[in-house]
Amino acid sequence: MAQSNFDRRRINGPEESFPPTFEDDEGEPSSLGWRLGQPRQGRAASDIRPIFLKAGLITQANGSAYIETQRSKIACAVYGPRQSKSTVYSENGRLNVEVKFAPFSCTRRKVPIRDAEDRSVAVQIHQALLPSIRLELLPKSTIDIFITIIENDGIDGCIAAGSVAASTALADAGIEMLGLVIACSACTIGKEIWLDPNNDEAQASSGTLIYASMPALGTVTNVSQNGRLTPDEAIRCMEACQERCIDIHAVVAEALLENAQQS
Amino acid sequence: MAAATTSLSASTSAEDALRAQTFQRLHPKAYLERFLEENIRPDGRELDEWRDVSVHMGSISTADGSALVRLGDTTVVCGVKAEITEPELDSPEEGFIVPNLDLPAICSPKFKPGPPTEEAQVMSDRLNDVLVTAGVVSPSSLCIQPGKAAWVLYIDATCINYDGNAFDATLLAMVAALRNTRLPRARFDEETGRTVCSRKVQEPLQIGRLPIAMTFGIFDGMHVLSDPTSFEEPLLDTVMSVTMDDDGGLVSVTQVGLGVIGKQDILPQCITAAKYRCSILAQQLHTSS
Amino acid sequence: MSSDLVLPGQPIPIPRGPIPQLGTGVYAREGAVRASLTGTPRYEGPVGTRPLPRPPAPNSVVLGSITRLSPLQAVLSITVVDGVPLPAGEEFTGVIRVQDVRATEKDKVKIADCFRGGDVVKGLVISLGDARSYYVTTARNDLGVIFATSEAGATMEPVSWQEMRCPKTGKIEKRKCAKPEGL
Repeated sequence: MAQSNFDRRRINGPEESFPPTFEDDEGEPSSLGWRLGQPRQGRAASDIRPIFLKAGLITQANGSAYIETQRSKIACAVYGPRQSKSTVYSENGRLNVEVKFAPFSCTRRKVPIRDAEDRSVAVQIHQALLPSIRLELLPKSTIDIFITIIENDGIDGCIAAGSVAASTALADAGIEMLGLVIACSACTIGKEIWLDPNNDEAQASSGTLIYASMPALGTVTNVSQNGRLTPDEAIRCMEACQERCIDIHAVVAEALLENAQQS
Repeated sequence: MAAATTSLSASTSAEDALRAQTFQRLHPKAYLERFLEENIRPDGRELDEWRDVSVHMGSISTADGSALVRLGDTTVVCGVKAEITEPELDSPEEGFIVPNLDLPAICSPKFKPGPPTEEAQVMSDRLNDVLVTAGVVSPSSLCIQPGKAAWVLYIDATCINYDGNAFDATLLAMVAALRNTRLPRARFDEETGRTVCSRKVQEPLQIGRLPIAMTFGIFDGMHVLSDPTSFEEPLLDTVMSVTMDDDGGLVSVTQVGLGVIGKQDILPQCITAAKYRCSILAQQLHTSS
Repeated sequence: MSSDLVLPGQPIPIPRGPIPQLGTGVYAREGAVRASLTGTPRYEGPVGTRPLPRPPAPNSVVLGSITRLSPLQAVLSITVVDGVPLPAGEEFTGVIRVQDVRATEKDKVKIADCFRGGDVVKGLVISLGDARSYYVTTARNDLGVIFATSEAGATMEPVSWQEMRCPKTGKIEKRKCAKPEGL
């Protein structure tokens, strides 16, 4: 199943192959070594993973950013404003977001063909960024944002980190924006709210939420929720994310200022 | 007053830089010619100078082996994923290696989103040839149970920033990722017909020769440029890639275009230059971790 | 200097009084002026740190090379906008329609006598044009062909506003030339 479709444009392996199965896994409920009701391992419930963020590493692009939150690693490049491929005249600029998972970025190898997950991640990031960009200044043009997920430790965290990286890259590219977009994810574990869950934590949670905002203007650009959350839990998640976004905003500001001083 | 003067000179130098960039954009060939007349390249290198290389291994935990290579600004990240498959009927004791290079739209304005470009297809094919010919990993060492189970190593490289000579950078990244790969000990269970692996016992691959590529370009039938950049690449009339193993033995030579300057064949000259460069890269590959 | 840098969304302090006319890189919302780019705000001119490539807009001076000719128009691949080159691999398509080549005797213009494929042309964007291309004019003395190679492959020199000469063969070729700078 892993290599079900033969692609003549790539080097192909055997028709079928499967990820290894491990004998030691049997009987062990979670590789986390953590059980419901126990406190979070390694960090407090309201802590996020440390962020490494650098702007301007991809020299071929107009703007770029690389973000790393422990085991999630994402590269983002901005091209444009460039000529639209579309044949329809448009008064406003267009925003195009494409997300690619490197084949080795997940526990299971991803066959390098665009799938539904790529698109849904791209749509989320597109939604988070769209209200921030002054597209009315760019008639007929397109801004292309390309995101490569090099290592994925929790898809919610990747969407949030990807949005932050993309907004940083847009600022680096000199695209006019109303404000920087900052995003944070949260999940509920038991009665607690854990911020920025990694893959294992998100799997164990009953519901996750991704919150994107422009802290400078105090506005929300996108919220999406998955799984089971009560309205009260959802609001508490959003409030916790909102607070943490101010800290992340400071990280982005530092990365941009450092980059602006170098160029 | 002093401040005013510095800002004035700063703005004129910025204008000069813009004028130079405009000239480069409109007349790339003439721009490169003017540099080469002075025996220097636009990025400040000598004609036979190589860009700095850095190799980082093992930073991607979702891969069984990984490497990040920077060659100047060209950045390639490579990850190895091992899966289990049934060997082919005609070679029951052999596993597989499946190398692929992706040149996605993120790495250069030249590449647009979509299926692999011709360039990426050709390069993946050449990488496959070189890795197989050099015998980096012998297929028989990937056998778990003859006729029943064998490893397949998916060696996927993605270019993040394309500033030319992706072939050299990718081969280096693939070889480094293979050196970094650890496979779990696998056992084929005759009764269940399944292969089970151990998380606790992991072994490195049996690595044979390490192929290393060195690429040269010839501009205007006159100048040999080592390690061309993305600006130089489209202006070259000949591209030569010399692949050697870490002991300096020749693995493969490819030449696209006429390899002649004046009446002299320059291939031997490139091989000599490649040999020297190879010894430096081999050392770097062996010491990096 | 670093403390003067502002980030997108950051308010820019302005003196009391009416809000001045806003340039690039700033916007006003709910009575506050904020930056929309990273850079140093200035009273004269835009917020910005480095010259950024921009898409063409009406009144942009553009440079580009001719890629296609038809009796009705010449197609231009725009690579420099307002003195800032676009990154390699990026370009915008412009069109010089036959009526926009020169200011006089418009009805006698023959595109083939004004441009050839590969010529580098300086033009002025007159409108955003249609979905595909920007409309560009060369109807001014300082606009037109600024660089062309002859049939013999040499760089030609302008001899008049509608002729260029090949230094190799001495042959005259027809072009709509731009008046060289500094003349």
